[in-house]
Amino acid sequence: MTEIYATGVFLFVLFALLGGSVWIGLALMGVAWVGMELFTSRPAGDAMITTIWTGASSWTLTALPLFIWMGEILYRTRLSQDMFRGLAPWMRYLPGGLLHTNIAGCTIFAAVSGSSAATLNMVGKMSIPELRARGYPEFMIIGTLAGAATLGLMIPPSLTLIVYGVTVNESITKLFMAGIFPGLVLSGLFMTYIVFWHFFSKGQKPDPEPPMSLGKRFAESRFLIPLFVLVFLVIGSMYMGYATATEAAAVGVIGALALSAAQGSLTWETFSQSLMGATRTSAMIAFILMGAAFLSLSMGFTGLPRALAEFIDGLNLSPIALIAVLTLFYLILGMFMDGLSSVVLTMAIVEPMIRQAGIDVIWFGIFLVVVIETAQVTPPIGFNLFVLQGMTRHEISYIAKTAIPMVGLMLLMVVILVVWPELATWLPENIRSGPGE
Amino acid sequence: MRDWQPFLGLPLWVWLFVFPTLFAFFCLLQRDRAARLLRPIWKTLDRIYLGCGVVAACFMVLILLLIVGQMVARWSSMTFPGSTEYAGYAMAATSFFALAYTLTRGGHIRVSIFLNLNKFTRLWMDIAAMLIAAWTATYFARYAVKTNIFSKMLNDRTQGQDYVPEWLLSFFAMFATWPTEWAKLWAETGSEWVYTPVWLPQLPMSIGTILLAIAIWDYLFRLLVNRESSIGGETL
Repeated sequence: MTEIYATGVFLFVLFALLGGSVWIGLALMGVAWVGMELFTSRPAGDAMITTIWTGASSWTLTALPLFIWMGEILYRTRLSQDMFRGLAPWMRYLPGGLLHTNIAGCTIFAAVSGSSAATLNMVGKMSIPELRARGYPEFMIIGTLAGAATLGLMIPPSLTLIVYGVTVNESITKLFMAGIFPGLVLSGLFMTYIVFWHFFSKGQKPDPEPPMSLGKRFAESRFLIPLFVLVFLVIGSMYMGYATATEAAAVGVIGALALSAAQGSLTWETFSQSLMGATRTSAMIAFILMGAAFLSLSMGFTGLPRALAEFIDGLNLSPIALIAVLTLFYLILGMFMDGLSSVVLTMAIVEPMIRQAGIDVIWFGIFLVVVIETAQVTPPIGFNLFVLQGMTRHEISYIAKTAIPMVGLMLLMVVILVVWPELATWLPENIRSGPGE
Repeated sequence: MRDWQPFLGLPLWVWLFVFPTLFAFFCLLQRDRAARLLRPIWKTLDRIYLGCGVVAACFMVLILLLIVGQMVARWSSMTFPGSTEYAGYAMAATSFFALAYTLTRGGHIRVSIFLNLNKFTRLWMDIAAMLIAAWTATYFARYAVKTNIFSKMLNDRTQGQDYVPEWLLSFFAMFATWPTEWAKLWAETGSEWVYTPVWLPQLPMSIGTILLAIAIWDYLFRLLVNRESSIGGETL
């Protein structure tokens, strides 16, 4: 009975601290400390620092700041704007017109940036005024943007996947590779939706764009090509086994610096801004990971993960039913929390559960990203919605409404992943063995 | 409370937790007097936070250089022993040095759904959350320092293949010894490279966590004095 009582106290403290708006990293540490004091006589403070030090100084983690930095460079220099401009000439003849730039822009920016908020901000800043000026319906502009921005966390590099990989001790390179095809499929789903909308909706449609010569198109997209080269370099070097995830990130940073210097937008100001911005984001995530490392140590002593895994095992759920339950669980959790925190908070409990059920851990990472990202476009707490609100000054309820079709498509993506798990698992199983991994 | 040795006649936890909390009450009740007392040091503290942010950024550049060095070494079939360890140390230094700086720029995330309910929760819940955060961060810093001192006492060495020159160790050891001992310290210092002792890369952890604790107490006091949060918001 005391065991149940202690577990109750533990969970109460967890929700009180998180809901009470203590910073996530410190909240996790506080809860973990309570757990250590309740369930074990081991000295909490010393165990805490040992765990945190091991985690914070690990080699795997070094990919994190570098990928963030690479995204920051492209975001703060003019490179990404030009990229967007270069994309538009190729999209104008598709049914649905320039709305496709939202999707394609997000897909490409996702391949150089690891966060969906940065993707959304970048693409939105460029595309919203352009699309509005051409008379595309607001509903479609906002909706497609909200949905497509989530690709930022799916297509490598992805901060969520790095955090997931560090938490469950899986190869980040493999996780990155696993994200490529599902990301492209999701992007295809969004584009199909736009095409369907074009043919079936009765509302206003903008006039077709005036034709443009092929030479002019290439001239417009001259910065697209080096950027594509950069993306292929980063992803390709990982796939071919020439570089680890961290080394690919270093290549990305140097490539981004070189490209922006060649374009002439690399000033001391943009350089220092990108560096300090990356330092902040990286410290924010590292801090959460520190708290999470201590929490998962403490969780182990509470016996909660084991009990839950046994409980789930006793239910004799099929893996599909388990996935359905977890989908629902993460959607609800994601209503109140951001994606990163919900990953680190739950993995200590969920990891034994899925390993017990025989679910592929790499596949689960991709599944997790899709579900968590879906939660980011559903109210009341949806980070992407907040970013869009800041950008467009629409009511959050309106933005959420425009995103509903996208949420549907993303849930469809979950189903696709369950039916064809090879979509995620094929590529990582076929990479060449890399150095030191 | 068994490993809280006395310090200046009082248990350490009284110094670390009780006195700052009492001062927070003082700030709450005597706003003007607290403001006069604190305002002069705010600017200096902000400069220190920013300075540590810059140090963190330098370590991030160092990570990049280390990894590039590692790749170049591999391509030219040389070895760069311990490169992964060095990069790990630089990673830890980046994270820890930037903690306080990130906090003051509003970079750390929190669940703000209840915080944003109304003006009352906006102030009082923030105060409560910051007080809890300050205690936790102080606890974190205290044990980080303790672990760091123990690493030095036990002469804990790295598990990897990384070396540091001995003079570097002596340089940092100077800060922990009396100036009268310095001659002896340097006389014993050889010119060879030794396996990295763990206390050296752990120094940023001690400094960073202490600074984080100071920053949270500092911004709690500012919140109590000004009655509005001084933490700048940042989009993204």
